[in-house]
Amino acid sequence: MNIRSCYIHIPFCKRICSYCDFCKLFYDTGYVSFYLEALKSEIEQYYHGEELDTLYIGGGTPSSLSISELEKMFSILSVLKKSSSCEFTIEVNFDSITEEKIDLFKKSGVNRISFGLETTHPWILEKMGRTLDLDYVRHIISYCKSVGITNINVDLMYAFPDETLQEVEEDIRFILSLDVCHVSTYSLILEEHTKLYLTGVKSIPEELDAKMYELICSMLSDFCHYEISNFARDDSFSKHNLCYWQNKEYYGFGLGASGYIGNVRYSNTRSITHYLQKNYRYEEEKLSSCDKMEYEVILNLRTKWGISKTKFYQIYGKRLLDVYDYSELVTLGYLRECDDFIFIPNKFWYLSNEIIVRLLEVCSYE
Amino acid sequence: MKQENIRNFCIIAHIDHGKSTLADRILEQTGAIEKRELKSQMLDSMDIERERGITIKLNAVQLTYQYQREEYYFHLIDTPGHVDFSYEVSRSLAACEGALLVVDATQGVEAQTLANLYLALDNNLTVVPVVNKIDLPSADLPKVEEELENIGFSRDEIIFTSAKTGEGVSSLLRAIIERIPSPKGNLSAPLQALIFDSLFDAYRGVIISIRVMNGEVRVGDVIRMMETGATYEVVGLSINTPKEKSISILKAGEVGYLYASIKSIQDVLVGDTITLDMNPASYPLPGYKPMKPMVYCGFYPIDANKFEDLREALEKLKLNDASLVFEPETSKALGFGFRCGFLGLLHMEIIEERIEREFGIDLIATSPSVVYEVILTDGSKIMVDSPVKMPKRELVSKTLEPYVKTSIFSPSDYIGSIMELCQDKRGTFINMEYLDQKRVMIHYELPLSEIVYDFFDKLKSYTKGYASFDYEVIGYRESNLVKMDILLNGEVVDALSVIVHKDFAYNRGKVVVEKLKEIIPRQMFEVPIQAAIGTHVIARTDIKALRKNVLAKCYGGDVTRKKKLLEKQKEGKKRMKKIGSVEVPQEAFLSILATKE
Repeated sequence: MNIRSCYIHIPFCKRICSYCDFCKLFYDTGYVSFYLEALKSEIEQYYHGEELDTLYIGGGTPSSLSISELEKMFSILSVLKKSSSCEFTIEVNFDSITEEKIDLFKKSGVNRISFGLETTHPWILEKMGRTLDLDYVRHIISYCKSVGITNINVDLMYAFPDETLQEVEEDIRFILSLDVCHVSTYSLILEEHTKLYLTGVKSIPEELDAKMYELICSMLSDFCHYEISNFARDDSFSKHNLCYWQNKEYYGFGLGASGYIGNVRYSNTRSITHYLQKNYRYEEEKLSSCDKMEYEVILNLRTKWGISKTKFYQIYGKRLLDVYDYSELVTLGYLRECDDFIFIPNKFWYLSNEIIVRLLEVCSYE
Repeated sequence: MKQENIRNFCIIAHIDHGKSTLADRILEQTGAIEKRELKSQMLDSMDIERERGITIKLNAVQLTYQYQREEYYFHLIDTPGHVDFSYEVSRSLAACEGALLVVDATQGVEAQTLANLYLALDNNLTVVPVVNKIDLPSADLPKVEEELENIGFSRDEIIFTSAKTGEGVSSLLRAIIERIPSPKGNLSAPLQALIFDSLFDAYRGVIISIRVMNGEVRVGDVIRMMETGATYEVVGLSINTPKEKSISILKAGEVGYLYASIKSIQDVLVGDTITLDMNPASYPLPGYKPMKPMVYCGFYPIDANKFEDLREALEKLKLNDASLVFEPETSKALGFGFRCGFLGLLHMEIIEERIEREFGIDLIATSPSVVYEVILTDGSKIMVDSPVKMPKRELVSKTLEPYVKTSIFSPSDYIGSIMELCQDKRGTFINMEYLDQKRVMIHYELPLSEIVYDFFDKLKSYTKGYASFDYEVIGYRESNLVKMDILLNGEVVDALSVIVHKDFAYNRGKVVVEKLKEIIPRQMFEVPIQAAIGTHVIARTDIKALRKNVLAKCYGGDVTRKKKLLEKQKEGKKRMKKIGSVEVPQEAFLSILATKE
């Protein structure tokens, strides 16, 4: 096993956003300490001492924890060995972040912060169930930079019901003014079981959605558009997320977390009661070679590099072309072949499901 | 059996007026069968016949009846009850001297009542009017009496029966003897026997239903079919009572079955005359007409692997059905199938259903087409039974299509709607007869293609189901016909091409184009859907290109879920049929083909 990445889930939030279907809980001091204890045991039980190249604390809202809770969390995570160039990311919300917490992050080895901004428009924030002070955003980001955390991501959500192209443009302009090196943008997905879905709102027309995407891409043209929804300046790609898209193994610890180890993709329980009773694993998917190859294709094709034919052969002992006959898709222009790589051209990224499905369809394995 | 003691008759009626039930009751009262043996509608032997309440294949049965100390032989000849089989009906009638005209006491005289009456009169039959279902509370006897009077019967001729309770059946049996004349054939003349039906039996070959008009035929005789010239040695003769009974001779005036190891039903034409090879009659019986398919459509197996099974099924059905024709056909959209010809729409539906039910092959039938006559610029004439066979416009000098004379029978309230419908369907008004103050018979000449399209459904909805109708083909007429193609992304979808009158092409094209737009999901590119005559586009709509199908967000926790989502999409793709470069949901596409629009 060669596990080089680890995800830690902190499920607590001070408020619940209307669109969120992640595993989350209302912040509660009592629960947090029990939770961190259970997390500690889970790591002790499953971690085998590998040196990590990426460590990612996500949520929920990790920044919603108090200073002392965060200190406890970092001390638990200190058993994880980090390589010298380890990317250590924590997710942060503006309504719970303070200079003091940033100092603690810095002290604890965090070298990348991912901020959930989502929108700058008050009416959308209200519908999302969020709050935001734009001046504070500017202040916190420059504070991060001042303490030396310059690897910063900002998340943006678009295609909110009734949102206009103009509003998306204003959001992007604001993000550009922050001068950060990484931007993630997501078209809103109305997930079942979310507050937003239950109020019966409708998705915006797909034409407008696609136009918003095009606008974002063109406004972020100075960035490297390296994954469907991700943009990076220079080479500041998210190493942790690339681990997912390159179909590499990773640990996932915490409530509702997922991991990929050996031939198994697993998910942890989303029940806090079970988790505190140390019943961590909820389901496991044992992967056949065919499954692995499918994941390889589905994930690799999200990035601008696509699938490496050499790497594919090295891992699976088969030529990519022999398993997935991509020649017709190349002829049609939906896939491009360039030296060792097969990838989806930028202009078809927003239709990537169609292309991936067609490629999976022509699988001749077994 | 003395000719004076023979009565050959049939029962004619509008559909569902109780013909088969009355036949059962006659069988029971003449002692041919015990009540407990009686399955409802004994004469209809096929499942579909019993379910649909119609008689597809003919049947003749011999009954004996004591009357005034004399023994009488009844030959009851059953007839098909639908316009598609009117030629077969007319041949059955030609085998009789009399007909029982059954009218439902709750419904009264209807279109087919009249059509059948006229057919019977054309064949010089003595007609006994029978009002049936008099046991029903909604029976309106005075009204039906009046209607029968209006079409030429006197009140005291009418016999009232309830086939259900048996009431009136014995007076009916007396009327058969008293009123229907006995056959008057010449026993010593050369054999002339009318073929009025045939059936294929796996062991005995073709079994022919015959009525001997003159002369006699014996087992061992060498017979000759006067139309086809085929000769055979008679292996056996029999009659149903209704159990089969072998006999050695059939004489003038008698009805029975003949078999002669005939392997090919093509040699046995309904309406043809059988004579003796050694001592042939100098001329055949009048009235023979070759049966020509009037309606064609493509049958395709939904499962492409069942093509050979479909061929086998059609061949088996053809053994029993000389009017069914078929030849292999290929469609880009549907694969391999057969172009099949039928006597009419009902005939087509029956064959389709039998293939599905008896042979277990799921079928898609393309929209039915009539047979067009096309005169080419070089003066030659071709018959076109499929839009695919329509020559290019520049090679065509004129086109003709079959016309029918329809008899529409309806309450007078709907005259306006019916005339409007007929006008819409390119009809020419002929005349209108009032049967009484409230009921009217309207005659129109209409293109058969309009009948085949949706006339019947429309007529029913325009008249709330009160109108009934009947038609007969009256010949070909010149008509401005064009072939209309449907193009998907610039490629012709052959299965959707139709031949249509030029004035109707636009509307028809628009309907198909709109329907396709509804069922075809967005594709990777914009897809134009066009209806075109030659290169001239008459209707168009576009399916906009797909703009978004992406998993915007995909991180660690989502991976498994997202793969499942893609697998679902992959399953969806499997249900798509590729037509050219366009993916069309198979089921929805078939539903467009299946509807007549």
